[in-house]
Amino acid sequence: MSHAARSTRIGEPVRRREDHRLITGAGRFSDDVTLPGQAYAVMLRSPHAHARIRAIDSRNALALPGVIAVLTGADLRSDGLKPIPYNPFTLHPADIRMSNSDGSPPFVAPCYSMAVDRARYVGEIVAVVIAQTTPIAKDAAEAVDVDYEVLPAVTRTVAAAQPDAPRLWDDASSNVCLDADVGAKDATAAAFARAAHVVKIETWIQRVTGVPMEPRAAVGEYDAATQRYTLHAGSGGAVRLKTDLAKILGVPAKNVRVLMDDVGGNFGTRGMIYPEFALVPWAARRAGRPVKWTCERHESFLSDFQGRDLAVTAELALDAQGTFLALRGSNIGNSGGHPGSFTPLQKGVEIMSSLYRMPAAHFRARSVVSNTAPTRPYRSSGRPEVMYVMERLIDLAASEFGFDRVELRRRNLLKQGELPYTNPFGMIYDSGDYHDAMEKALKLGDWAGFPARRTEARRRGRRRGIGIANYVDTATGAPRERAEITVHPDGRVDLVIGTISNGQGHETSFAQLVNEWLGVPIDNVRLITGDTDIVKVGGGTHSGRSMRMGSVVIWNSAREIIAKGTRIAARLLESDPSTLRFENGRFRVEGADRSASLFEVAAAAAQLGDLPEDLRGPLAAFSDETFNIASFPYGCHVCEVEIDPELGTLEIARYSAVDDVGRAVNPMIIHGQVHGGIAQGVGQALMEQCYYDPGTGQLLTASFMDYSMPRADNFPFFSTEITEVPCTTHPLGMRPAGEGGTTPALGVFINAVVDALADYGVRHVEMPATPERIWRAIRDARAAPPAGRAR
Amino acid sequence: MYDFDYHRPGSLDEAAAMIAGKDDVKLLAGGMSLIPALKLRLARYSDLVDLGAIDALKGIRREGNTLVIGAMTPHAEVAASAEVARAIPALAALAGGIGDPLVRNRGTIGGSIANADPAADYPAGVLGLGATIVTSRREIAADDFFLGLFETALKPGEIITAVRFPVPQAAAYCKHPQPASRFALAGVFVAKMAGGVRVAVTGAGPSVLRFEQAEAALAKKFDPSALEGITLAPDDLNSDIHASAEYRASCVVVMARRAVQRASEARAR
Repeated sequence: MSHAARSTRIGEPVRRREDHRLITGAGRFSDDVTLPGQAYAVMLRSPHAHARIRAIDSRNALALPGVIAVLTGADLRSDGLKPIPYNPFTLHPADIRMSNSDGSPPFVAPCYSMAVDRARYVGEIVAVVIAQTTPIAKDAAEAVDVDYEVLPAVTRTVAAAQPDAPRLWDDASSNVCLDADVGAKDATAAAFARAAHVVKIETWIQRVTGVPMEPRAAVGEYDAATQRYTLHAGSGGAVRLKTDLAKILGVPAKNVRVLMDDVGGNFGTRGMIYPEFALVPWAARRAGRPVKWTCERHESFLSDFQGRDLAVTAELALDAQGTFLALRGSNIGNSGGHPGSFTPLQKGVEIMSSLYRMPAAHFRARSVVSNTAPTRPYRSSGRPEVMYVMERLIDLAASEFGFDRVELRRRNLLKQGELPYTNPFGMIYDSGDYHDAMEKALKLGDWAGFPARRTEARRRGRRRGIGIANYVDTATGAPRERAEITVHPDGRVDLVIGTISNGQGHETSFAQLVNEWLGVPIDNVRLITGDTDIVKVGGGTHSGRSMRMGSVVIWNSAREIIAKGTRIAARLLESDPSTLRFENGRFRVEGADRSASLFEVAAAAAQLGDLPEDLRGPLAAFSDETFNIASFPYGCHVCEVEIDPELGTLEIARYSAVDDVGRAVNPMIIHGQVHGGIAQGVGQALMEQCYYDPGTGQLLTASFMDYSMPRADNFPFFSTEITEVPCTTHPLGMRPAGEGGTTPALGVFINAVVDALADYGVRHVEMPATPERIWRAIRDARAAPPAGRAR
Repeated sequence: MYDFDYHRPGSLDEAAAMIAGKDDVKLLAGGMSLIPALKLRLARYSDLVDLGAIDALKGIRREGNTLVIGAMTPHAEVAASAEVARAIPALAALAGGIGDPLVRNRGTIGGSIANADPAADYPAGVLGLGATIVTSRREIAADDFFLGLFETALKPGEIITAVRFPVPQAAAYCKHPQPASRFALAGVFVAKMAGGVRVAVTGAGPSVLRFEQAEAALAKKFDPSALEGITLAPDDLNSDIHASAEYRASCVVVMARRAVQRASEARAR
């Protein structure tokens, strides 16, 4: 792994400054905010997956001592609260556009922060109860009498797309909100017509949830004098939360302030505004005092945005030698109870063909609503799903048509000289050495030595398998970011930026940038990200954008600080600016023993009365940039599993990862991100699932007793390697590193599982690969007549 | 959590007096299942009587060929006890595999068997060893104690004081955990006693149960090979999102074989 840090500059594995605070309990999370006189809110949630709300009788609840108010959807409408502003498609111009193939607009219904006439999933908010204490609010919530008319429900993705499925919106013609065609239909059909081989997979990338360590919490305030709302709530970014909140409350953005300090996990789950974040400040205005709400864990399972849930049918066409000719199929994304986010569908389908040379491709991409919690982008939005499909198709083609799995990949993997390469959906991969990553991963995972390990495992009665998966990750996200650096004469540097750490270590890695460019010790850098009265612009943390965009605006700001500082230092040192050089935090006069520190220059800027206008005042600079080009991190993972065929249990024996990040700012943090990413991806493939009962729409995995979270002992020690092929579209050569761990993990894991079972004739195992699934796969394959075995 | 009155008696008599006449009272014997249920408002009682201060209910002792464990002895103490390790190492291992360290330090044997969770570990040990449950009123054979899902032979107001385990010739417990909770999906306790072989299964059915066909086969020959061809009918077993009855039935046989293997190895050492 990494060497010990030799300095605190770019490229060094500097220990995270924030960790001591976080691991000694000194972090300040949303639930740590307590305001004088605050009341407490409890959300009354629908117990039904689909029900019309006939009436709500709050009289018994209001009669309980200590109850302040019971607010319903009717109150919300009469107070003029607006629907939650959705951005159903991505905010980035590099992502592909999707529209209905029949030319009609996608169906997007207004989603209010509370159910108004109908609850569309178990856990949807039906009323907000405000009381002196949480226990009183809970008692009152039980006393609220809601008259429900229970309606038929549908939860499963494919079922929801059927024309006769229970309908979530009466004014929509079906549950299908978007039905788009992407790629080239005719060229793809022609390629399939002349293919020597066609391999097909039908699979479901199941619904999972993010389970951030810190459950959501929010404290709302309203100041009647200034008519200003304040929300304290952890999120993926403060600015976006502020603007969305202002839209819901129907007030100008300046009348809203959002504050947050530490945020305990995001993964996309915390990326967008939640209904509670609007209900709490509204309730504070209604109650005339601050209102606090803290989500409990079972409530998180019910109401956190969930992830994945994509039903795929895909076919790959190959010629006789194994060269890929075309890819086609259908993706159906399940957006849950409200048609809010087509992003994962969009971000996935645009790179279905991964890093492989694919002359033609065509997909039908649909998004459906169902009686389940809403889904949103979830770590590596859409990409792990499609990488899994592509890598499964390759392994299936190899086993069905007699190709070597690795050779088949080598043959079709894009070579460095072919880049930039426009994939069949129009995405342009800029740069990278994909073959090098794969060869390094094969070596790191000791692919060559695997047969001996398989034989040895067999002697112990175990079935060992190995898998490989390449990946590409499209990083786009909100394109605009801003940084502002202020040098204080007392030796501190403030860095204001519109992206926030949800555990990624920005206090360290961003400070390393400042250390590199301004020579300031990292402990003197203060990162300001969670107060919208200071942070005015910024897109937040998602889609690998924090360091990718943050580095550039910090770099621009630092260069301007040096440029300004040089002119001030020239006055201070009585030299010509052209004779000054800035290094290690000092402006030096070349060839003379005269210099001034950055902070002396900052002091001079504040004191010298005769400076030109643009140099007077605090030594500060900002950069506000819009990034319209996507970035394409890539890599290759190799996984090895060992299966106990009697029980179907498995152990991950080895896991090796090579991820290219262009240029690593802090390799230790990157390795950590990859480790977590692998656990998140393999967790899905191995055990996680939000399981909705198909009949009732009840969520049966609403606690840790039933939702299988992977734990440390489910994994071996990971072997991770970073490569640094500079990204040609990034001024500093960087590629994002936060999602690559997850993106190939689903595919590489299932490939290893199926390889372990190959001798039985098992063709495929669906996710999650639970012990029973594996046990059944073995049993069914044994029972099948040999002719039925696809080998 | 709903409001309740909390009591902490210092003696069994005091506890009995506190329970008497109250029909909405619950004994607190560690609370590792009860407290979460209260917190989630899944259970509601007017009074909780905490047995944690009654010293007479704690401790481990050997009486001839019997191991006696006080009802309020926490799992961690059983797991670490030299006395248990000498007499019934399989029981020490079982206790050491329950939940996590927090559960093992708070949870007690009496609380576990009184709760009779269908996937708990202790019921397998108690039934597998043919233990005797001693209460404030009588002694109950393990075979008569577990009646069904969260249901035991205990009468209202009856308090478990100790469990008496006969020392076996060989025993072992093997658990195949449910991946989320890590409770048993199929847990099998096998014991070779002077009078025969007992095989108890937890996690697979609505309540801990005896695998009689396996017992008969193992009585003839206490060896994994004796279970060749033996199956368990899935008809009365549990099916849920984690495992079907059919899969559980298969796992029970595998775990039984592995438990016999482990017991044989332990005995040989």
